[in-house]
Amino acid sequence: MRDFSSSPGLPECATVSEARLLSVLDTAADGIIVIDERARILIFNKACEQMFGIASVEAVGQNVKIVMPIEYAYDHDKYVGSYISTGVKKIIGIGREVRGRHADGTVFPLELSVGEAATPDGRQFIGILRDLRPRKESEQRLADLQSELVHLARVSAIDEMGAAIAHELNQPLTALMLYLQAIRRAHSRGMDINAMVGDILDKAAAEAERAGHIIQRMRQFVEKREPVRSVRDIDPMVDEAVELTLLGQRHRIRVEREFAGDLPPVAVDPVQIQQIVVNLVRNAIEAAAPTGDPAIRVRTRLRDGNVVIEVHDNGPGIAAPALPKLFEAFASSKRRGMGLGLAISRTIAQNHGGDLLVDPGGNGKGACFSLVLPVAPPPVPSEVG
Amino acid sequence: MRVHVVEDDAGVSDSLSLILANLGHDVISYPDAESLFRSPPPDGSDTVIVDLTLPGIPGAQVVRWLLKMAAVPRVVVITGQSQSAIDHQLRGLAPAGVVRKPLTVEALARALPAS
Repeated sequence: MRDFSSSPGLPECATVSEARLLSVLDTAADGIIVIDERARILIFNKACEQMFGIASVEAVGQNVKIVMPIEYAYDHDKYVGSYISTGVKKIIGIGREVRGRHADGTVFPLELSVGEAATPDGRQFIGILRDLRPRKESEQRLADLQSELVHLARVSAIDEMGAAIAHELNQPLTALMLYLQAIRRAHSRGMDINAMVGDILDKAAAEAERAGHIIQRMRQFVEKREPVRSVRDIDPMVDEAVELTLLGQRHRIRVEREFAGDLPPVAVDPVQIQQIVVNLVRNAIEAAAPTGDPAIRVRTRLRDGNVVIEVHDNGPGIAAPALPKLFEAFASSKRRGMGLGLAISRTIAQNHGGDLLVDPGGNGKGACFSLVLPVAPPPVPSEVG
Repeated sequence: MRVHVVEDDAGVSDSLSLILANLGHDVISYPDAESLFRSPPPDGSDTVIVDLTLPGIPGAQVVRWLLKMAAVPRVVVITGQSQSAIDHQLRGLAPAGVVRKPLTVEALARALPAS
């Protein structure tokens, strides 16, 4: 049985109240370590035994460095000495995140707060420690979940575009089939086709390539991947996304593109940004479709030091009651899809340090969504030499 | 026989002309409904192949116009759209044939009158 009565440095556990204190320490969920002025461990509670894989009897009397990674351990005595001589508080009374070391060598994040007590035996420091790993794990899980959701929204967008894509693929497949059948027929009738067969085969190959390109574009967009930031020009990225959206679009619609052409680059995940643009353009087309002359305008420009991508439609605008819930997940009034589009889009924009804003329009004016992205910081000059 | 093709996709239009010529027809191609309307109208012995998805005036509108002519040509619709979308656009119209994309020469030949 472990107890503290034999602990060196700690006075005999003479009174009942002291015994009670020690048992309280052992029931605490947080790790508690008490050290003296020379950083020797006086108390090492049960939670600490668990946290560091060291029994209390072994820990007590040793320098507190045994629970620190080497690089901290090296400086710790200096810190204690410096505080005692200067009185300047670096950690006392302030909680901070530090790293601890388990007996098996694992280094892990800890939240440490330190208090100080003057005792007849000199100054003692009380450290309260909380293992941060469960919190880090849940933060990681949250990040994973968010990335999963972003992916899901992209897949759902593609799913809704599925019928349109089938239509788009039908064109090159039709052409391909007819070219080949034309050659087949001519051949089987013994017609002299030598003069034209090369030309027809070239055209057939071009159609097959066209079908391949359509699939490639879809695949690039939908495949699950880690978010990757890179410094890019926004105009070509937006142009590509508009093209992708128009791919197999059933509504006939005028699309005006007004690109600034000279915008500073942005540091973004291109696929995620394109996901937003696809989403906005699709919404704009849906909003404009019922009007007699549907038209949308996609514009890029610089505003207040940010790059802004605007998507206007000439639909009826957004009704006031729908506005407050516009960016909420699952609040969509649309029949299809999950209503995740705008919620995800805004999250992505904000993760990029930007935002997604809306001018609802109305009274004969269509809606306008603005995707705002901060300009990329200037590149760090590369090393000289 | 004279066959008019109203199809905006260049690849489809070109390959369709080739195979129809191959089948022994005279082919006239139009990239949209507007250019069909500007040209001499088809007569009752002609066939008009119309893609449903056209820029500008929609294909269904062309079908409606053709079926109202005094001498109605044979109208064949081609499309890659879903059945429900086709039904929706062709409500109340009865073209001689509807052939879904991707097209094959057999399906086309069935929709055209035996020459």
